[in-house]
Amino acid sequence: MAQIPILDASVWVERQAGRIADPVDRLRFLRREMRQGTRLRTRPRQGTQPRPKHRWRQASLVVGLIAMVAIVPVPTGTAETFAKEERLVVPIPKALLADLAPRVWLVDKSGASELYSNGLRIDLTFTVANRPRSRFPIFSLAGGAEPVDEGRQPVGIVYHTTESNLAPFEEEENHRLQRIGRNLIEWVRQGRSYHYVIDRFGRVYRVVEESDAANHAGTSIWADSRGVYVNLNDSFLGVSFEGRTGAVDEVTPAQVAAGKVLTEMLRSRYGIATENCVTHAQVSVNPQNMRIGEHTDWAGKFPFAGVGLPDNYSIPVASMYVFGFDYDSVFLRATGTRWRGLDLAELRVARQSAAEGLETRQYRAVLQHRYKDIASALKEKSEEVMK
Amino acid sequence: MSHAGQNAIGLDVGTSRIVIARRAEDDFRFESQLNAFVAIPYSKITEGVLEREKIPHTVQLGQIIVHGNESEKFAGLLNAEMRRPMTGGVLDAKEPDSLGMIREILTTMFAGHRAEKRQKVCFTVPAAPLGAGGSLTYHEATLRQLLTDLNYEPVSINEGLAIVYSELESSNYTGIGISCGGGLCNVCLAYLSVPIISFSIPKAGDYIDTSAASVTGERANRIRLTKEDSFHFNGFFADKVHQVLGVYYDDMIRSLVTALKDAFTRTSNLPTFNRPIPMVLSGGTALPPGFRDRFEKLLWEQDFPVTVSDIRLAQDPLHSTAKGALVCALSDS
Repeated sequence: MAQIPILDASVWVERQAGRIADPVDRLRFLRREMRQGTRLRTRPRQGTQPRPKHRWRQASLVVGLIAMVAIVPVPTGTAETFAKEERLVVPIPKALLADLAPRVWLVDKSGASELYSNGLRIDLTFTVANRPRSRFPIFSLAGGAEPVDEGRQPVGIVYHTTESNLAPFEEEENHRLQRIGRNLIEWVRQGRSYHYVIDRFGRVYRVVEESDAANHAGTSIWADSRGVYVNLNDSFLGVSFEGRTGAVDEVTPAQVAAGKVLTEMLRSRYGIATENCVTHAQVSVNPQNMRIGEHTDWAGKFPFAGVGLPDNYSIPVASMYVFGFDYDSVFLRATGTRWRGLDLAELRVARQSAAEGLETRQYRAVLQHRYKDIASALKEKSEEVMK
Repeated sequence: MSHAGQNAIGLDVGTSRIVIARRAEDDFRFESQLNAFVAIPYSKITEGVLEREKIPHTVQLGQIIVHGNESEKFAGLLNAEMRRPMTGGVLDAKEPDSLGMIREILTTMFAGHRAEKRQKVCFTVPAAPLGAGGSLTYHEATLRQLLTDLNYEPVSINEGLAIVYSELESSNYTGIGISCGGGLCNVCLAYLSVPIISFSIPKAGDYIDTSAASVTGERANRIRLTKEDSFHFNGFFADKVHQVLGVYYDDMIRSLVTALKDAFTRTSNLPTFNRPIPMVLSGGTALPPGFRDRFEKLLWEQDFPVTVSDIRLAQDPLHSTAKGALVCALSDS
C-alpha cells in the first residue's frame, strides 16, 4: 500500500533532538530514531483503507472504555457532580478572573496598515481571507454532550511560535532576518495558519482576517466561566511569534512589546478576558492517547507579564478537569517549570472523583467518554457541512 | 565535546579539489589539494629540485608528474593544461592515470596521519544526474576499494546530504543542501537527517570554464583563475572574459533552478513540511559575490513547490562538504 510519511508525527523526535547541543550527538540521535522509524508514522494515501491492526486497536479501545464505564457507577447527573465540586475546587485567583479590557481604538487606516491608539501598527500587506468564522458551540461545565450556547465573536487568544528557521538576531544579519521573516509570512499566508504574526523586529502582520477562522489551534480545548470550547479555530484568535522553542533568543524584546499592544487591542475589540489569553501548549490535546500537549509551543517561558497578562500557566488546564486528559513526562520536560495549572487541574479531578465516590481513574474515564461523544458529534457536523 | 571515533575523517572527493576534514579539539581542521596533475619532462635536476622543495610528485615513464596544489603553478609556468583525474563529478574513464593520481594525492594528504586500524573515512559521492544513470557505481566502488587498500574503513555519503549535515544543524538537519562544485551541482532534500530527494545536474564550474574558454579562446584553466579571482554578479564588465563568465554563470544557475523545480514537482511523495525549510548553497562555484542573490531571484521567479524560509551561503563553502562527511563519520562511530 502506498504510504507517505506524516512529517508532523515526528514532533517528539524533533523536540528531543532540539535539546541536544552537540551537532554530532544530535545527528546520531536523529539517524538512529529515523532509521528505527518508530516515531515516524505513516498514513495511507487517500482512497486506501486504514490498516486492520489500527482498526482493531480502535475497536478494542472502545470496548475497553465501554466496559470500564459500565462497571463503575456513572453519575446520574453531572450537574450534581459539579455542584458538589464547586464547594471543593480551588478557587481561581481573583487576578485571573475576567477584568476590564483596556480601551484601544483605531486611529488611522490605509490600504497597507492600521494604526491604533496604543501605538499598535498592523501591516495589512499579506492579509488574506479564509473560511468565515462559524458559530461555535459552547458546552456546559456541568456535563452533557449537547452545547448549551453558541458564540460568534472570538472569546480568546491562543499564542503560538512559528517554530521556523531563525537567523542570529544581529545587525549584520539584517537582510537575512528580513528575508526569513518575509518568506515565513508568505508561508503562513498560504496555510492560513494564524490571524497575526509578529516578526522578530516586532512588526505585526494581519494574515487571516479576524472575521475568518485560521487553522491555528487544531484539536484543542479551553474553558472559562461561560463554558467549554472545543477545537478553537473558530472561537479563539491565533497570534504567532516568529521564533522557535529552545532557541537562544526565543523572542525579542520588540516582539514582546508588540505582543502587548496587539493583545490590548484584541482584548479591547472583543472584550476578551485575561484568562482566555493562553498558549498553544495549554490548549492542545491529542485524542489518540488522551494526553495534553500534542503541540508544545509556548509550553514554558511565555512572557505573560511582558504582554500585560497575569501568569496564566496558573489556570487549571481545562482539558484535564473537564475531559479527563492526562500528561506525560515528555510534556513535563517541555514545560521547564511545572505549571501550577497542572497541579490545580489534578487537584480538581481528585476532589471531583472523591465527591462522586469514584477512583480517579474511573472518574477520568467518565470525563473522557464525554469528550469522545462531543468530538464525534462535532466531526459529524463538520462532515455534514463539507457535504 | 568528545566522541568515540575522534580520529574519523571526512573526505570530499570533488572534481576540482579533494578536501579532508578532521576533528581538532572542539573545532574542525581542513586540508585541501587540487584534484589535478601536470606532467613535465623528466630531468635529474628537476627531480632534485622537487625533492628539495618537498613538492609532491611521482616519476613514471620518463615523466615527472606533479600533483595537487603545486600542479597549478607548474601548469602556469609551462603553459600546459592541467589534467584532472575526475570529470563531471566522477572518475574520468578517458584519463588513464585517474585512479593512480587520486591515490597519490590522498597518500600525500594522509601522510603523517598513519591510518589506525579501521579508522573511519566518510567520503562523498555525487547523486545520479537527473535523467541518467551514469557511472556512479564504478566511481563509488573504486574509491571505496582505494580507501580500503589504504587501511581505512570507508563509508560514503551523498554530497548534497553532506551539506545538510554540515550546515543545517539548527533545523535538525532538515532542509535543502546544494553543492555547486566543479563537475556537478548536487542537491539533497533531507528531513530530520534522512535524505528524501537527491540528484545532480552536470552543469557546474567546469561547464562555465570550458564554455567561456571556447568563446574567448583562452585556456579553461586561465578562465577558472579569472572566475575565482575577480568575477562577481551584478557588475558591469568592460572585458569580454567577465562578460562571458556572467552569461554562462547565469545559464548554470537557471539550469539548476529549473532542475530543482522539475525534480521537486515530479516527486510524487514529496512530504508536506510543517514549516518553511532552509536552503544552503555551497561549493567553490557558489563563491562569487552576488551568486546567492542571483540564485534567489531566479528561484523566486519559479513557482517552487516547497516553501523555503531562507537561502544562504554556507559558512565555509569550500570546506562544508568535507565537514558534513566528517560529522556523518563521527555520528556513525
